[in-house]
Amino acid sequence: MKQSRRNIFKFAGGAVAGAFFTPAPWRLITDTALWSESWPGIPRPVRGDVTAKFTNCGLCSAGCAIRARCVNGQPVSLAGLGGGLCPFGLTAHHLPFHPARLTQGPVEEATAAVKARGTAGLAILDLNPGRTASWTYRRAMASLKGSYLATADPVAYDLSSVRTVLSIGTPLLDGWGTPSKVFPARRNFRLIQAEALESRTAVMADQWIPLAPGTERIYAQQVLATLRGRDTSPVAAQLKANGPSVVIGDAPEVAEINRLLGAWGKSVVARAEAPAPDSWRKEAAPVTALDTLPEGSVRTLLIDESAAASYIPWDRIAPKLTADALVVTFAATKGGYVRHATYALPIAIYPEFMDDLGPAADSADPAWRISAPLVPPPAAVANLAEFAGALAGISASNTLRERAGAIHKAGLGTLTNYATGNETALKEVAAEDFWKVLSEGGAWQNVAAKRNPPEISTAPLVPAVVGAAPDLPLLAIREPAQPALVSPLMTKLYQESNLRLAPNRVALHPDEARAANLRDGARAILYTHAGRCAVQVTVDSAVPPGSVYVGSSPGIQDICSPAAHAKVVPA
Amino acid sequence: MKFRGIIVFVAGVLVALGAGWAGFPRVIHQTRRQPVDFSHQIHADKAGSKCDDCHTFDAVGRFSGVPELEKCSGCHAALMGSTAEEKKFVDQYVTPNREPEWLVYARQPENVYFSHITHVKRGNLKCEKCHGDHGTSNHLRPYQEDRISGYSRDIWGTATRPAMTMDACVDCHRQSHLEHSCLDCHK
Repeated sequence: MKQSRRNIFKFAGGAVAGAFFTPAPWRLITDTALWSESWPGIPRPVRGDVTAKFTNCGLCSAGCAIRARCVNGQPVSLAGLGGGLCPFGLTAHHLPFHPARLTQGPVEEATAAVKARGTAGLAILDLNPGRTASWTYRRAMASLKGSYLATADPVAYDLSSVRTVLSIGTPLLDGWGTPSKVFPARRNFRLIQAEALESRTAVMADQWIPLAPGTERIYAQQVLATLRGRDTSPVAAQLKANGPSVVIGDAPEVAEINRLLGAWGKSVVARAEAPAPDSWRKEAAPVTALDTLPEGSVRTLLIDESAAASYIPWDRIAPKLTADALVVTFAATKGGYVRHATYALPIAIYPEFMDDLGPAADSADPAWRISAPLVPPPAAVANLAEFAGALAGISASNTLRERAGAIHKAGLGTLTNYATGNETALKEVAAEDFWKVLSEGGAWQNVAAKRNPPEISTAPLVPAVVGAAPDLPLLAIREPAQPALVSPLMTKLYQESNLRLAPNRVALHPDEARAANLRDGARAILYTHAGRCAVQVTVDSAVPPGSVYVGSSPGIQDICSPAAHAKVVPA
Repeated sequence: MKFRGIIVFVAGVLVALGAGWAGFPRVIHQTRRQPVDFSHQIHADKAGSKCDDCHTFDAVGRFSGVPELEKCSGCHAALMGSTAEEKKFVDQYVTPNREPEWLVYARQPENVYFSHITHVKRGNLKCEKCHGDHGTSNHLRPYQEDRISGYSRDIWGTATRPAMTMDACVDCHRQSHLEHSCLDCHK
């Protein structure tokens, strides 16, 4: 047969077609993918002895008990003890390697700048109050005549003995409390969730009451009016009939509702702190609410963003500062107040730091737990407690041990050892053993402590009004806050799958998105009266028309308070 | 010729099929020999050994995998039989106290966490379910290593031996209604 170019091409074409009916091309695709798993630079799991370490999760004040599976001392998986663990906690061992983590900062330059400013107009903003570090800040501020600013929630709830719970917009089953306490208690109470969106808590509730966006407070007033005999709310009737009942929510009317239901002082109590040395209490500056500070009174502001329990929008902080104010933030990420600070100093993060945990929202009894480090922190991190302590001449290096000593001296309560599962009366534990157990994974709790009712606000309850803003036609619904840093793995599984709204996203009803000429995934600008913020759009038919469901990034929180009037336009 | 073009095309198809099915598997794999031709059959029949006599779980439930030399030396400090392979094992490894570099047919990627104790104790799976007739073999078959991925050819399975790929794991879990999450294996 004569060889021609045409025949060569035909033969090659036949060979290519035939190759698709052999394992070769498919196998090469798989092999190449497997080969790429072992490229240089791809992390390889460590090999070695498998051990368990115990600690308490330091991502939020719930402080879940943790068992860390470690290989050669390196944690490779985390699990909750005595109950569940939230998705953020499950993957927290990834955080030391987070690409958005702040790892460098001008520590010496910032120290010199703060010292040069002197102590006039000095303030510390503590976003995670109730810790031993908070006591150090208060002592330092008392010594330096500065202000200690904090936004502690004074109320704790005991859900173990209630039969009906009305939650007005609170993410009760989604990060509000400790899963190991909330979920066992959940079996015994009927949960009524009243909020605009069918949230993750609403899905798991016995009854979801859809509210119009921004009307949570009006709903609370209706419940209150029914309890006072001036209105008819079927839910209020249920609360009275199926007691003991409790209402959880941010509306100012909630305290009075709980008082009328008889929950005040029983299942709603003042959040109790563990004992602290008497000398600390005598030397501590009072807790000052940010809003009570005179405008332009702060020359130097030090911010502790460590495991922040809340975020205060910058437009509430900025008016309190002088024009030339020095702002130094101690932060784990570049996303929070770093955008507004003169200096940003890196801090150790969970599971690197050694810190205690403030009282949790569902902890009616005083408790004390330490988040003991599972891995060492990087060398260059700063610590605001030591920074402020050095300014005031107070040693902050041994305060946790001193606090443990004060608790042990009081001799009340019990100590739980996570490694053995034993619970021992504190009176039977030596001081050294108490510290050893706490610092290696344990918890102290005093369930016999007297419970006190929280202070009730004397501010008059004024009728709630939902205003109108023709230029901003949407009402904002806020995603529950999440830790400042979450594992990139959770970003993939939880946010890109839209199981949880990513911090920089907003969700719109399809009709609203169509009207604004926005499609799913589009870049857009979120406008409110407080400013504008670049966002990405998710189109979701679960979002009520007339509203915009917004993520919890600091940039969005800076401009968008809950129920704020807003609009979303293409970028 | 009228059908000359078709014949050339079909010839190309046939050559590719031959190369793909017969030549490719030989080219893609390199064959390596185990340090010693271990006989599972002799150990099972003559010594009455069971799988977990050598492939043990430790106190915290970890699977020891291939036994270390210390385990073998317990019986083979001196020759027990007359085979050439045993003599080779004693001379080259036991006497100089040198660990043999066994090639593991079932080696999984680094990002997979597989708990033997969960499958054996809780799932009541027999070793043969995944490892086939390996425990009764008289010779160790050659270890065929994929030149690109570096994994054993065994993980793809054969007509008589099940595969050890993720798809195989997922299929089995699906049949047992034990599908949980990615994090079960990819911790």
